[in-house]
Amino acid sequence: MQNRTFIQAFVRNKLGLIGFIGVMIIVALGIFAPAIASYPKGYGPVTLQPPSGANWFGTDGLGLDVFAEVVWGARTSLYVSFMAVGVAAVIGIPSGLISGYKKGTLGAIIDTIIDIFLTLPMLPLMIVIAAIVGSSITNVALVIGILAWPSLARVTRNSTMKISEMQYIEAAKCLGISSRTILFKHILLNLAGPVLVNMTLVMATAVLSESGLSFLGLGDPSTWSWGSILKKAWDSGAIIDTPNPWWWWFFTSAFIMVYVICFNLLGNGINDALNPKTRD
Amino acid sequence: MGNYIIRRILKGLLTIFVSATIAFFIIRLMPADPVTLLIDPKMGPEVKQEMMHQFGLDKSIGEQYVIFIQQGLTGNLGISFKTREPVMDVLMQKLPWTLLLLSIVVTLMLAIGIPIGMLAAKKRNSWFDKFISVFIVMGISIFIPFLSFALLYIFSYRLGLLPSGGAYTPPPGHGIAYIINVGKHAILPALTLFVGNVATIILYTRNSMNEVLKEDYIRTAFSKGWNEKYVVRTHALKNAMIPTITVSGLIIGSMVGGAVMTETVYGWPGVGRLIFDSVSALDFPVLQGAFIILAVAVVTVNIVTDLVVAWLDPRIKLGG
Repeated sequence: MQNRTFIQAFVRNKLGLIGFIGVMIIVALGIFAPAIASYPKGYGPVTLQPPSGANWFGTDGLGLDVFAEVVWGARTSLYVSFMAVGVAAVIGIPSGLISGYKKGTLGAIIDTIIDIFLTLPMLPLMIVIAAIVGSSITNVALVIGILAWPSLARVTRNSTMKISEMQYIEAAKCLGISSRTILFKHILLNLAGPVLVNMTLVMATAVLSESGLSFLGLGDPSTWSWGSILKKAWDSGAIIDTPNPWWWWFFTSAFIMVYVICFNLLGNGINDALNPKTRD
Repeated sequence: MGNYIIRRILKGLLTIFVSATIAFFIIRLMPADPVTLLIDPKMGPEVKQEMMHQFGLDKSIGEQYVIFIQQGLTGNLGISFKTREPVMDVLMQKLPWTLLLLSIVVTLMLAIGIPIGMLAAKKRNSWFDKFISVFIVMGISIFIPFLSFALLYIFSYRLGLLPSGGAYTPPPGHGIAYIINVGKHAILPALTLFVGNVATIILYTRNSMNEVLKEDYIRTAFSKGWNEKYVVRTHALKNAMIPTITVSGLIIGSMVGGAVMTETVYGWPGVGRLIFDSVSALDFPVLQGAFIILAVAVVTVNIVTDLVVAWLDPRIKLGG
């Protein structure tokens, strides 16, 4: 019954549904990449060709099909974002819950660790770590996940603090209900909204970070990723120099934006459907 | 409250210390040896030895760390491998450029974002609110290089109105001419950073205002017959601002170092660009210094935000 209300509420929200469909399409592109386009390598016949029936997104400086590059790049982006969000959730949610609820030493220690991690400048640190650990896609995903957990922990912690000040939690405590039951039954369920929204944000940020790192030349050079396509376009002066092959960077960046937007819409849709205050 | 402030500052100092330590050790893990990159391979091993000694790289990691902390406490962040200048001087040259960009962006994002967020909450479900929702989703999803490329393509390549990079066109000029010169160069990077951040501010302001306006005490205030403006100003605003303030703190803190992408694309000579260049050049001392500056900035902003939040919402018993 509960699930059915959630699905009904979610489907009624058009933007959330658009996000969900968009995410599914990109997931399908990533999974079926080999069937959609052949892996772009070597040199193509005509360089810097504008979009046409044969090359939907035109060709790049080596004459390779930009559409094929974007499709194969989707695989990398999906892999990185799912893995990063998993890592961030496993570390972030429990530590946020505990530090928000426990006022003792343990809470203070976790809180300090969250603070310190939030203090570390994310992108610069990612750049340095990516330079150290070497540019495999798995390493990049791990780095993004490990550095993304504090924001999830902070959201969890702040909401936990707010909720645990509420009267029904006081009442539960007075009734002698154990901390664990209060945490998981009364607090965690009420956190679902903010936490899920933050997880979709992490999902979106992970792609932005991966694309950013590859764009700065710190990604995996042996794999196609959206960021590395943009790096090649930027390095060859495709943006401000003449000739100006706008299709080289435009379609690729548009895919990054669509991907991130779809995840954000999906997150909002889930949040609204879960939250009885905004459901109707 | 006084006790709380002291504890908060001590925690801030600890945070800076730990960040500096993490920065020191992470940077030491970088694979390449900077001296090998710096010197001509034709030079003999004794020259290399001399350089290692000069930069203190012949000592053990432990000794290097002790020296790093001792010097750091006196404000000495070492010597840049690349330019041989004191790191503090290098940072002080770059920091004003980052702060210039930051202050433009933060001023605009708060001045424009908060009123728009409040208006969207007041006119809930109107066409304005819907338009703002679309803008928010686009804004928080922005990929910095995409926006930069699009702006450069339109304003620099097509229209030829604005410069494509750098902080000024040489000669920089004096007085008003200098301000105009720099201002023209700052427009695109500032706009790039503004779009994403203002969307975040609008989002938080609108959502928390929506939440607060549904509270019982607001309904009570309305039922007393007070007008909307009065209720929003005296009852809702203070509580609704809490999430906005928290997120502003996070934005400011991250922007001191988070402008790497923007500064790199536009060739803006700030701390972000410096970090990117220092990674390629394996300039450890500059990287460490930059991380410490960033840590100090974030800690300071966090303390200020926490104090403001504690002052606004006594329910959050921060001292407890």
